[in-house]
Amino acid sequence: MTRYLRLIRIFTGATLAAQLEYRANFVGAVLASLGEVGVALLGIAVLFGQPGTTSVGGWSFHEALLVVGLFTLTEGFISVFIQPNLSKIAEAVRTGSMDFTLLKPIDAQFGVSTRYMNVLRVTDLLIGLGLTIYAASHLTVTPLGVLGAAALYVSALVIVYCIWLVLSTTAFWFVKTQNVTELFNGVFGAARFPVTAFPLPVRAFLTFVVPVAFITTVPAQALTGELTPALALASPLVAAAFFVGARLFWLRAVGSYTSASS
Amino acid sequence: MTATWRKVRTLFATQFAEMTEFRAEIVIWMLSGTLSLVMMLVWMAQAGAAPGGQIGGYSPAEFATYFLSTWLISQLMVVWVSWELDLDIRQGTLSPKLLRPLDPLWMWYASHLAERVVRFPLLLGLVALFAWLAGARFTTDPTAYLAALGLAFLGFCARFLWEYTIGLLAFWTESSTSFQEVVWLVYAALGGMFAPLAFYPEWVQRVAVWTPFPYMLGLPAQLLAGKATLGDAGRGALVLTAWLVVFWSLRLLVWRRGLRKYGAVGA
Repeated sequence: MTRYLRLIRIFTGATLAAQLEYRANFVGAVLASLGEVGVALLGIAVLFGQPGTTSVGGWSFHEALLVVGLFTLTEGFISVFIQPNLSKIAEAVRTGSMDFTLLKPIDAQFGVSTRYMNVLRVTDLLIGLGLTIYAASHLTVTPLGVLGAAALYVSALVIVYCIWLVLSTTAFWFVKTQNVTELFNGVFGAARFPVTAFPLPVRAFLTFVVPVAFITTVPAQALTGELTPALALASPLVAAAFFVGARLFWLRAVGSYTSASS
Repeated sequence: MTATWRKVRTLFATQFAEMTEFRAEIVIWMLSGTLSLVMMLVWMAQAGAAPGGQIGGYSPAEFATYFLSTWLISQLMVVWVSWELDLDIRQGTLSPKLLRPLDPLWMWYASHLAERVVRFPLLLGLVALFAWLAGARFTTDPTAYLAALGLAFLGFCARFLWEYTIGLLAFWTESSTSFQEVVWLVYAALGGMFAPLAFYPEWVQRVAVWTPFPYMLGLPAQLLAGKATLGDAGRGALVLTAWLVVFWSLRLLVWRRGLRKYGAVGA
């Protein structure tokens, strides 16, 4: 375990050193972050801007803002930690450099998941956190609610990671997977809004088929104290099931991997 | 004249052959641009829950029609040239393209047009499916479709030119593609991807009419929904044409300066 923690430190140091060489890119990253949060904010701003509109799907403005904050935070998490690593799987399978990862005396899934980091997009994390805190400061939040939300948000991140891992792992068979993760991004865009803002059949789809509801809506509900015990319990269970499933899928993919060089 | 024609034909034929290979990817790209669809679902639910069953004069079915139309039009306006330019300039693969007896702009323009030809039938299928699911109803006036297509074409040219210009910024900066993300946001907002333009605050609407965005996205969508007249379309076409001239000169200016800079550093 300590070995893995030490490795994470080394990986982080190396990736930081590599990225800070391109300081001009920082401007671009800030612009991109602003663009992404802008899309989410405009979406709800126009909705609440209509005369007579005080709630969307039963959520007040600040409650909906909470969802936007968590959405931005999650996008940041994806672009800082998940995407830089997992998007390289396809490339590694294609060129055969996956061999080196598999030969190393550490768990290969750990290796492909933690090697890189896109430090520049930390702005997304900051904006997301800021929005979440701002929105929460306008609502009545209990310490228990914060703890519950934090725990449920960890489940949310596990779910996001697992979906990405499974989609990227298909590269072992299909080689090109960039597009599949784009498809996930498309569905994930719905997480800008609380799921109750959608028509009933779509709500079911976003809860049971692609569990987008667990990523932003459920933690936000925990924070506002509107969470039903069933959902509170379901989120970690779904996360655990996804994690086991993704792990098995990964092992299976590695098992069927025949190096590009042999 | 025949030489030009031969160039055009060869260019288009090769790009078309390339794009038909990407048909599976094209469907995935289409499905990943979901912003209008997400907004459609949210507005439909809002209108359904509102007293009187409508918001701002739009019933759920009318929201479905508007947003599906914007989705259709925005799909015709997808442009990725700034990514290609960014890559070509940074990797130096622009150099061989400069040797051809043709401005590289036309190669990318042809490739985008060829992609549209592959995309269109797939797109119509998806729109028909979504329209059936959401209960959208489009106008029956054939001239409205022609006008909408014409505006979409002008809009596509405008978007192509501004994205091209942004892509050329790669001669100077490494973050040209991020500029493109911010400009996309303005285009989506003022184009009416979040809501029909009439739903925006008064001052935003007053600014928007001077930009090309409402005429390339919202207006054709309103034509398809049967909520705009041919007179509106004509006015929109004029504004778009004026902007096309502006974008064309801008891109020529940036291209010339950029090439000088590229020549000084590269080959």
